[in-house]
Amino acid sequence: MDKDTIEILARHAGLARALADFPEDVAVSAKQAADVAHKIKRPTDPTAEPWPPMKTGTTL
Amino acid sequence: MSDLHWMTVDAAARAIAARELSPVDLTKALLDRIEQLDPKLNAFIRIDDEAAMAAALAAETEARSGRLRGPLHGVPVGIKDIIDVAGLPTTCHSKVRLDHMATADAVCVEKLRGAGAIVLGKLSTHEFAIGGPSFDLPWPPARNPWNTDHHPGGSSSGSGSGVAAGLFPMALGTDTGGSVRNPASCCGIVGLKPTYGLVSRRGVFPLSFTLDHVGPMTRTVADNALMLQAIAGHDPLDPGSAAAAQGHYAAALDRGIRGLRVGFVRHFHEIDTPAHPEVTAALEHVARSLQVEGAEIRNITLPSLGEFGAVNRVILQSEAWSIHGPWLSERPGDYGKLGRQRLMAGAFMSAGDYMLASRRRLQMIAEVEAALREVDVLLCASSMDPACRIEDTAEVERTYPRQARTPFNVTGHPALAMMAGLSVGGLPVSVQFVGRYFDEATVFQVARAWERVAGTDKKHPPIV
Repeated sequence: MDKDTIEILARHAGLARALADFPEDVAVSAKQAADVAHKIKRPTDPTAEPWPPMKTGTTL
Repeated sequence: MSDLHWMTVDAAARAIAARELSPVDLTKALLDRIEQLDPKLNAFIRIDDEAAMAAALAAETEARSGRLRGPLHGVPVGIKDIIDVAGLPTTCHSKVRLDHMATADAVCVEKLRGAGAIVLGKLSTHEFAIGGPSFDLPWPPARNPWNTDHHPGGSSSGSGSGVAAGLFPMALGTDTGGSVRNPASCCGIVGLKPTYGLVSRRGVFPLSFTLDHVGPMTRTVADNALMLQAIAGHDPLDPGSAAAAQGHYAAALDRGIRGLRVGFVRHFHEIDTPAHPEVTAALEHVARSLQVEGAEIRNITLPSLGEFGAVNRVILQSEAWSIHGPWLSERPGDYGKLGRQRLMAGAFMSAGDYMLASRRRLQMIAEVEAALREVDVLLCASSMDPACRIEDTAEVERTYPRQARTPFNVTGHPALAMMAGLSVGGLPVSVQFVGRYFDEATVFQVARAWERVAGTDKKHPPIV
């Protein structure tokens, strides 16, 4: 993730103050996020459901 | 009675019930030890000594008149400071929540008090139960009683440090990516992450709704089962609470393990994240010992640690961002550096990332479930290294992710970490046992077999 993209996403997320005061921390956070999803195998079955599922009538 | 500080929960409760031990004497002995040792350990954020002594006096009066509240009557407990205790602040070890006052006990605390436990105070944690040991928070980080130059693991760091040091015989911790089991591993005690939904999270400050667990931390396996018995149970007001019936967790403790099938997940520590040689040797020793005790050891393969870790992190950081986003927008300077870095990461994750992780999560659950149809319990690493020096930030950063705990936050299976031995440097190394959903009793059965063989319950840190 390049610096400009990080800035756009950070401002969009409401992190303008963090960007001004802690730019290195914002960059570290963005790097953590960018690296991680690539390590997950994408389910090949298009009908694969997420967990936890929506369930009615079992809680509350 | 000497060495009150090393008494187990079970022994103390029995002695109190038999009127051989006064809850006042026990609480006073522990408060004296806390006064002596906590300045070196920083396990406490707040010691509630007056309330503890008042509760101990009440417990003594009740015990004298033959009225016992429950199986923990008169036994002191420490509470991680993300868990509400009525009348005390729940700071989450953060400047962000310094002024937050809890008006009611969390359900798990209410249940402990209902069983007769005495709350000693609030314990140190990583900020909001994430990050690592930090020196830029309102209180210093807890330290490891086996060597105070080393970290005690986290995020339930005060819980691990205090139980191991004999400041209290039991504590509550929470576990979202391993935070009960990490300090249990580093401090050589017993820490259980129960099945997801078995213990209510109501009154516990959330980190990640679908990964958060509350768990017992003790010095012995039997005490862990006793504590779980007190805090488990359905809570209709916790949306994640399971409707499953409460088990009898100590039922199989001393039954032995002859004929049990134990699945050894070797690739976690041999291939995915190669462990320190002393950890590898300790795990092999545990497996051989269980075999000698009559268990059948089989090799089991699960998804890689790297992928489990990625799924855990995407879900954890996305859910945590939904909680912390407003505060991080308005007052990022009130967070410590590590907490700020970890919690802001969720701002950069997409809905697509979250759904990918959630869909893969269901497949991972199915894979662990399939393994647990082949065997009764899994055996694997917990931490890949002994605890490093607390002020070596680079080494903390390197070793903290080297663990095999997050898989079972992702899947929700019960997982227990305990001592596997001591390193040459005199620090605990650890092992983890994992069971089927709601089958904590079998996890305890195997853990107790190992404890009996190795005598881990008799090993205490050299600190006074």
